[in-house]
Amino acid sequence: MRREDTVKKCVSVLALLVSLFAPTVHAQDAERPTGEMMGNTCAACHGTYGRLGSAAFVPLAGMEVEEFVRAMRAFRDGSRPSTLMHSVAVGFSDEEYQAMAEFFAAQRIEE
Amino acid sequence: MQRRDFLKALGTGAMLATGLSVRSVFANAAPHVVIVGGGVGGATAAKYLKFADPNIRVTVIEKNPVYIRPYGSSEVLNDHIGMQDLEVRYDRLRERYGIEFLFDTVTGVDPHARTVRTAGGVQLNYDRMIVSPGIQLLYERIEGYSASVAESRIPSAWIAGNQTRLLRDQLHAMRPGGTFVIVAPPNPYRCPPGPYERGALMAEWFKVHNPTAKVIILDSKDSFVPGPSMLLGWNRLYGYNVPERFREGMPTDGEWPMKIHEEPGMLDWVAGRDGGRVLSVDAANLSVETEAGRIEADVLNIVPPMVAGKVAFELDLVDETGYCPIDRRTHESTRHPGIHVIGDACVADAMPKSGFSANTQAKVAARAVVDLLAGRDTQAPLWENTCYALAGSEYGLYVADIFRLVDGRIARTEGPRFLPLDASRAQIRIGALYQQNWMRTFTDDCFA
Repeated sequence: MRREDTVKKCVSVLALLVSLFAPTVHAQDAERPTGEMMGNTCAACHGTYGRLGSAAFVPLAGMEVEEFVRAMRAFRDGSRPSTLMHSVAVGFSDEEYQAMAEFFAAQRIEE
Repeated sequence: MQRRDFLKALGTGAMLATGLSVRSVFANAAPHVVIVGGGVGGATAAKYLKFADPNIRVTVIEKNPVYIRPYGSSEVLNDHIGMQDLEVRYDRLRERYGIEFLFDTVTGVDPHARTVRTAGGVQLNYDRMIVSPGIQLLYERIEGYSASVAESRIPSAWIAGNQTRLLRDQLHAMRPGGTFVIVAPPNPYRCPPGPYERGALMAEWFKVHNPTAKVIILDSKDSFVPGPSMLLGWNRLYGYNVPERFREGMPTDGEWPMKIHEEPGMLDWVAGRDGGRVLSVDAANLSVETEAGRIEADVLNIVPPMVAGKVAFELDLVDETGYCPIDRRTHESTRHPGIHVIGDACVADAMPKSGFSANTQAKVAARAVVDLLAGRDTQAPLWENTCYALAGSEYGLYVADIFRLVDGRIARTEGPRFLPLDASRAQIRIGALYQQNWMRTFTDDCFA
């Protein structure tokens, strides 16, 4: 029992250390995913393919490329106030904004 | 056979109607992908497999014909929604995309012959399999607790269903001035902000319906997500006194400062370092023994430790951690080739166990499965997670992260993750609005 406790403690200390030193990466340092791969992660809020029927989130399907890129840059540098879009926008590079923008610009607004 | 062809034709028609013009590489011999588990991960994978190639035959094996969503299910406890609002049906996945559903239980898989058998006596061949089994709760890990105690007296309500209803009824019948005790689980667990959001939503409800009630959250951990932003919300709404070690960066003046309350409010959190770890439960007396002593409850809610869902063990996909090791690029099991594991059950490094994580993992796995079946190179994966959480029905919080593959591991992309501590009232309120809308858009992205 005591030994198990010690093991448990070691495991949890180890888990804590791992989480403290978990590597993070900068957007520009990783292999670049396709616009579709990245754009699909937006769907949970902005709708499948960025097509949205609800009012709270901005529909992305059919958005002009430049508008998308400008919005993401403004979210990143804070010049456009946001709730969580700042946290999302800092996770991508300019080239990735462009790839996602092209993906969404190519989507029909409605099914 | 004829019926299947008809369904397939119907499926293809539906794809055209949704505006997809993906050219199939499987014109003559369409592969069959079997998905085990029809929760967030399984449903999303089925849909995105069809997007990637409409000719792939997709069969989902799921035991329940109606899915009860766990995300947002604490909102049943404060009557913000009803149990029926948690129900999600599979009709749209079947009708729009031609995904086949088999409501049955998997009893065995032969990973070499690539066959799967069910309790109902069906045997299916598959070319690749995606397993999304979710979690199972280890009630017995806590002395005095068990599945039968959870079903009858001390619900966990962590997998939505009868225990959610039981906990709701207990809370609503609690005596005036009673104590609601939540026991938070150790890491890793499904829905990191969940226990803390649940405590907050009940404190908000008690303020109106049982104003002398107390909420105590007992924890073996010393911190949680979304951390200080939740503690600040508790301080503002329920008079919680934020421990000094978390106060850095909290506003002390301006429109909505953090205050130190002479008389602490109705909600308390006992961290592991303060003796919050639970040692045993006395089900008869509704009390728990903690490292800091005995605590009596009027309503007791225990979220026990958890591991991968049962079917993951039956399919031999689990290692000594209790979860399923995978090749992160494709989510393919490192124990059994041809089987991909997604969602809460897989080892995903920096990603939390959440519905949003399962949803983006499903998309990565679906793309990888189609590329592997077609003999193409797999793509660089990208994942995201956003956990929305409420400190009150109009007080929205979040943690948001982009994840990438780095040296074979899933790593968080550098950047701020939480609602800033100096966020305005308007931002906080919009956060809650987003949380409510996300429930709908997210459910649609997975199931419609």
